[in-house]
Amino acid sequence: MASRSSLLKVILLGDGGVGKSSLMNRYVTNKFDTQLFHTIGVEFLNKDLEVDGQLVTLQIWDTAGQERFRSLRTPFYRGSDCCLLTFSVDDNQSFLNLGNWKKEFIYYADVKQPDSFPFVVLGNKVDVTERQVSAEEAQQWCRENGNFPYFETSAKDATNVSNAFEEAVRRVLASEDRVEHLVPTDAVNLHRKPRNTSTCC
Amino acid sequence: MAATTPPKVIFEHEGVFIHSNTEESDDQDLLLSGFLRILEKDGETVVEYKPLEDTVDPSNMLCAGKDSSSVVEWTQCSGEKGHRPMDQQLSCDTEWDMVNAVSFRRKPYTNGEGGLNHTNERSKWAFSFYVCDLKSISVKCEGWSYLTFHLRDGNTLPAVHFHQGGSEAFLDNLRKCAQLSECPDDEHTLIVSYYNKALSQSFENLLDDTNYGLVQKFKKDPYTTTLGGFSKVTNYIFDAFRGSELECQERPAEEMSDLLGELIPGLEINQQEEPGFEVITRVDLGARPEVQRREPVTVEDWTKHQDSEGRISNVTHLKHIIFKGGLCHAVRKEAWKFLLGYFPWDSTHDERKNLQKRKTDEYFRMKLQWKSVSEEQERRNSRLRDYKSLIEKDVNRTDRNNKFYEGLDNPGLILLHDILMTYCMYDFDLGYVQGMSDLLSPILYVMENEVDAFWCFVSFMEQMHENFEEQMQGMKTQLIQLSTLLRLLDLAFWNYLEAQDSGYLYFCFRWLLIRFKREVHFQDVLRLWEVMWTGLPCQNFHLLVCCAILDSEKQKIMERNYGFNEILKHINELSMKLDIEEILHKSESICMQIKNCKDLPHSVREILGFSAVPETSTLETSEYGILESPQTSPRATLRQDQLISNGHGHLRELSHNGCKVAFIS
Ligand SMILES: Nc1nc2c(ncn2[C@@H]2O[C@H](COP(=O)(O)OP(=O)(O)OP(=O)(O)O)[C@@H](O)[C@H]2O)c(=O)[nH]1
Ligand SMILES: [Mg+2]
Repeated sequence: MASRSSLLKVILLGDGGVGKSSLMNRYVTNKFDTQLFHTIGVEFLNKDLEVDGQLVTLQIWDTAGQERFRSLRTPFYRGSDCCLLTFSVDDNQSFLNLGNWKKEFIYYADVKQPDSFPFVVLGNKVDVTERQVSAEEAQQWCRENGNFPYFETSAKDATNVSNAFEEAVRRVLASEDRVEHLVPTDAVNLHRKPRNTSTCC
Repeated sequence: MAATTPPKVIFEHEGVFIHSNTEESDDQDLLLSGFLRILEKDGETVVEYKPLEDTVDPSNMLCAGKDSSSVVEWTQCSGEKGHRPMDQQLSCDTEWDMVNAVSFRRKPYTNGEGGLNHTNERSKWAFSFYVCDLKSISVKCEGWSYLTFHLRDGNTLPAVHFHQGGSEAFLDNLRKCAQLSECPDDEHTLIVSYYNKALSQSFENLLDDTNYGLVQKFKKDPYTTTLGGFSKVTNYIFDAFRGSELECQERPAEEMSDLLGELIPGLEINQQEEPGFEVITRVDLGARPEVQRREPVTVEDWTKHQDSEGRISNVTHLKHIIFKGGLCHAVRKEAWKFLLGYFPWDSTHDERKNLQKRKTDEYFRMKLQWKSVSEEQERRNSRLRDYKSLIEKDVNRTDRNNKFYEGLDNPGLILLHDILMTYCMYDFDLGYVQGMSDLLSPILYVMENEVDAFWCFVSFMEQMHENFEEQMQGMKTQLIQLSTLLRLLDLAFWNYLEAQDSGYLYFCFRWLLIRFKREVHFQDVLRLWEVMWTGLPCQNFHLLVCCAILDSEKQKIMERNYGFNEILKHINELSMKLDIEEILHKSESICMQIKNCKDLPHSVREILGFSAVPETSTLETSEYGILESPQTSPRATLRQDQLISNGHGHLRELSHNGCKVAFIS
């Protein structure tokens, strides 16, 4: 069928331990690993999917959440098409930090129009009974900060995980002119994604 | 273009000196301070030196300036072949009109005949030449670097001394318009071959050790980059200029790697001093020698090395066999305490018992400190709270597949937690940083004792501390050192990585931060670490371990034409697929290969701790380090068996025979 698909880069950001790696693994491999290590450095996984009839290769980037590692992770923000701001509903601090993550992303990703950039907010670990952040609080934050879609997820029991990623894809596809994102599906060099704006000197 | 175009300054460095004495004279130098510039004028590149008019401030220098009777005069010899009337060209622009000499011939100066006033005498020392007329440069180091230019017509210009640094930056900038290659017979001489197209230059000469990461960053963001030193500024300026053509083909991967330069700014290695000159060209390393590994050290071997009172004898030999084969698991619990420096090698059973007693008290005193923090107090102590919450999260995500830490409420998990919390009390400034739980876990597994594990961990952290600090200086240094080694070992591969914007080796970050803890199986981590803790066969051996792993992967990476992302992915996915004995074998072999090479670049010798001085015999007999050129870069040369490397160029003396401590930094 279609010989071309879009490569979309999404990046998971949020405090250490909120479940970024678990969400990525759940989405890509449909597994929840209770023996998972915390992330050191930067990792990414690819997943092919079809959204509304369009083939997309999603490249999901996962980094370490601790403040100290900022200089390692921020270089990878560039070229992101979507940012998944993640907190854990059983950790109020991680919710309070969402604003900082958003700021850090906009700054280092060098987003030209931050107001229209597609962010998606994930409140993870909804399977946990002792919540510290209510859905209402989270929704309010999303409304006030740019009308971001909000998903309550659980990497553990797979609640809403693919919905969240698919929504991210839709947001990106809707938000910009897609033409320049098209690359051949069989491309090996996925990293050679052309820039969507040509900023020639 | 008209000859009236004003020259463009590519490089400028103030505080470059000419010593105006003769070599034969013991008198003190007359020092002339001045500017050294590289200019571009009508498509030609010109180097010029111009003395400053004002008197020299002696406080800036390592030697006092004083008028001397043994001044040498440099006479003009214009009209010789190959020289253009530079003075005419440059005089069009008054600002640059300071050139009154084209090239010089050395001539003894007699006191009576000169009679020049001060200003004239100074301006006599000005010179300039076209880079295309430059034949070679001698690079010497006497605590500072100084360069001598030899022109194609046979003339030699007075040496310019970089008392305030900047020689490397100067050479780097010169490299943009001319190829400088190390002379095969003389490592202090650079042969110049001129060409016009700066961009055609091969990667190998473009980057220097300390600055290469800054270059890309500046290209991107020339004005906001924090500048650490003048030599770096000049590098930036050049690259901003050079980079303009490259900017057009932007792509995310390239931008990413530009920003990876973030890792490098603030990098402070050798910022003040100029450790001789450094160009790594193709060094012929020769064949990689075969090395033999051995069986692990047994309990029997170990006890043989102890006297009746428990002192370890023949430590050198013992370390050697540990390096060659590692330890049987039964020996580890005891041997690691020595290897890590918790127990002194020459201590007796009784002394160690006392030590352990003291250390136990000390441990529990610190443990009580965080244990007795009330909830109220904790609420007002955000740092402690943050450390605690991260430790709790990370302990649950460290080696949970290992029996010792698996399942719920495993006592191993509680110990891991408590030791890390107590470490926060031991070093509150550092606190807990992710990665530390990975370093502790194997130690605790081997020690099976909270107190011993804590103190061994403290010793290990002493080596690794800098990697975890706020600026992650240790990581930056290691990545640069690794890059230097890779360039030496396989320039083609390094160039490939560079071309894929991967020259920063960010993909080795995890390897270096937690010493391969996540790359090999748990039991192999134990083997690898005990081998590395011997400090043999060279300083920073772990960097050669990186080289060995990359050596096995480079063919795949290049053949499959992996780019930025794929290299990262490929390296990440090597985790748990690596064969430890094969790696150790290869790493040692690479070490021997480098050691056997006679014309090693200075930086490589420095990284691996190979003495730069050829007369090793005298060093072997000296008990302590010899500090070389103390004003600049103190380099301690110590007996290998007394040293362990902490992984980033610092050497730490093990507590051995009450020896002194020497630092390299
Ligand atoms: N109950 C529950 N636990 C989860 C869920 N997602 C993740 N976890 C657990 O939360 C902890 C942290 O998850 P990670 O995926 O490692 O978190 P992270 O955001 O990647 O953390 P860093 O790598 O440190 O930045 C792990 O122990 C997971 O098992 C979830 O949906 N429900
Ligand atoms: Mg993670």
